[in-house]
Amino acid sequence: MLRKRMVAHQWPIPVIVAIIAVGLLLVIGVKYDYPLYHDPVATITSVKNGKPEKQKDEFENQDTETSQKLVGKIRNGPYKNQKVRLSNTFSMSGASDKQYFKNNDVFLIIHHHGNKLNGTIRDFKRDFQLALAFWMTICLLLGIMMFSGLMAFFSVAINSILFFWAVKLNSSTQGAKVLLIFGLLTLLFAFVTLWIVIGFNRQMLVTMLATIGGTFISIGIALSVFALTHDKGMYYESMQYVTQLPKPLFLAECLLGSLGAVMDESTDIVSSLFTLKQERPDISQKQIFLSGRQIGKTIMGPLINVLFFIFMAETIPMTLLYLKNGNAWGYTFSMNMSLGMIQSLISGIGIVLSVPLASWFASLALRRKSM
Amino acid sequence: MTTITALGLVLLILMVIVGGKQGAQSFLSLLFNFCVLFFSVVMIAFHFPPLIVTLVAGVIVLALTIFMGGGDDLTSQTAFFTSVIVLVVLVLLIVPIIHIAQVQGFGQEDSEDLEGMSLLIGINLLNISMVTAIISTLGAIAEAAMAIAAGLTEILSQHDQIASKQLFRDGMTIGKQIIGTTFNTLFFGFFGGFLALFIWFSGVGYTFGEILNDKVFVSEILMILFSMIGVIVTVPLTAFVMKHEVDYRRKRNLPFSDLDK
Repeated sequence: MLRKRMVAHQWPIPVIVAIIAVGLLLVIGVKYDYPLYHDPVATITSVKNGKPEKQKDEFENQDTETSQKLVGKIRNGPYKNQKVRLSNTFSMSGASDKQYFKNNDVFLIIHHHGNKLNGTIRDFKRDFQLALAFWMTICLLLGIMMFSGLMAFFSVAINSILFFWAVKLNSSTQGAKVLLIFGLLTLLFAFVTLWIVIGFNRQMLVTMLATIGGTFISIGIALSVFALTHDKGMYYESMQYVTQLPKPLFLAECLLGSLGAVMDESTDIVSSLFTLKQERPDISQKQIFLSGRQIGKTIMGPLINVLFFIFMAETIPMTLLYLKNGNAWGYTFSMNMSLGMIQSLISGIGIVLSVPLASWFASLALRRKSM
Repeated sequence: MTTITALGLVLLILMVIVGGKQGAQSFLSLLFNFCVLFFSVVMIAFHFPPLIVTLVAGVIVLALTIFMGGGDDLTSQTAFFTSVIVLVVLVLLIVPIIHIAQVQGFGQEDSEDLEGMSLLIGINLLNISMVTAIISTLGAIAEAAMAIAAGLTEILSQHDQIASKQLFRDGMTIGKQIIGTTFNTLFFGFFGGFLALFIWFSGVGYTFGEILNDKVFVSEILMILFSMIGVIVTVPLTAFVMKHEVDYRRKRNLPFSDLDK
């Protein structure tokens, strides 16, 4: 089996060391990528902080605000190597401001002030930090998972490209076909991902059938429930960053969000059953189904929790802000967490449905000869 | 009936049909996890130290998820022990990286939602973005540990004479097979949650450079990467813990699993 060979493939240590070293050089390159930006970038060279001033808002929250006088050295463009004077104010909480320190890189808007340059800080430069975290992940992935890690990375990369292409397509149609675009894309995602991760074989086909079944049936159930309850308690207006009709966008988010997890559940069940069949070739069809259900029901709870925490964690800062602005718990929940909760429930339904689907399809596929 | 209640009932019924008592337990663990999460946020709002609240909540959540979702004792113990180690490793990674990336608070994309709100809330939001990152990884760590441990327990129950070295290798094999789809769970989970943001980027016409330095985008990608690192580290650790657990039980003639009870 091709898959078996791929898993057994081990890389010589020099190859891994070379990948890690080249990656490190790239990360350092990103730190000094100033010439690549059109906007002026400066490195802060000196910082003078004013006296912190106590602030109290109408909800009795106590905070401090501090002003900063900064000098920066411009790193790119026509003013390269010139000094620029900047000022900034930061609060202790830092909700939409931040404190700057020596050696921070910032994006600027430059103003002339006689002979001297003044500037306003637009944003902090974060590309180096992003590259660093990315590099660490890749190193761990290749170091521990070797070839399978590379394939996992490859599948995420391909999916990112498909995803961004679909987002562009959605924008070019003004969001009118968001469900159709992401619905079709779901099928493509399932096929491409499983092809890369498992390879094109029976195991992959079984997994794909269970995945597509689980995902689409769960969205169907969600749509029926929405219709029966007339969207009661759905606060679409609380969705963040919305630039188009919220309901279809929310459904597209649910479709995408649950796809990965349903695929995960199906793959876990099917791959464990195929491994089991290798360990014990004489196992019966019914035993395979029961083993699948056993594995599936053990991991379905944790898997639903994966998405639950992903969907809910993102709402924490805004929830906290609502609470500190004197809103009641119930209202805070409705406006921040309820959509994430509904998304978790819909994904959960898909995950649970994939347990019998995956076990049944796998038991059919493995019923005859040994591998 | 509100939509949340109705969907919750559908999920509960399906979980009981598929998983029986265990399904009901898993559903309860989801409810409890929500309570732990919500009360952690409330406690942070009352100025309890955010990182300590999160660490305690994290261990409780891992225990709830694993012991209430899992069936047998070997799987659950191995998975819980492993995931607590991974949680500690991740916290040690998340704190410095969020610190240098400075992704606290809200981005310019949030400004409409922030209208009319007081932002001077007296809580350092840099700590809150660490809390957010740690919480977003909890489910992924628990799930990966459970998947490997459950697969190995299943192999053990069908083939109980298997050498412990082979068991470690089987653990890595299962890990290598699931790493791709686990990554995709995280990818789709996060990107599904933030589809609107990407549509915003595309609609407003952000440049590549602007996106790469955008606070909300960077914080989102960092969360995905932390979860991925958590999963990567979990695979060999679970296989390793399981191998030791089996060696230990064999030496003392303890049963491997209570599946057959």
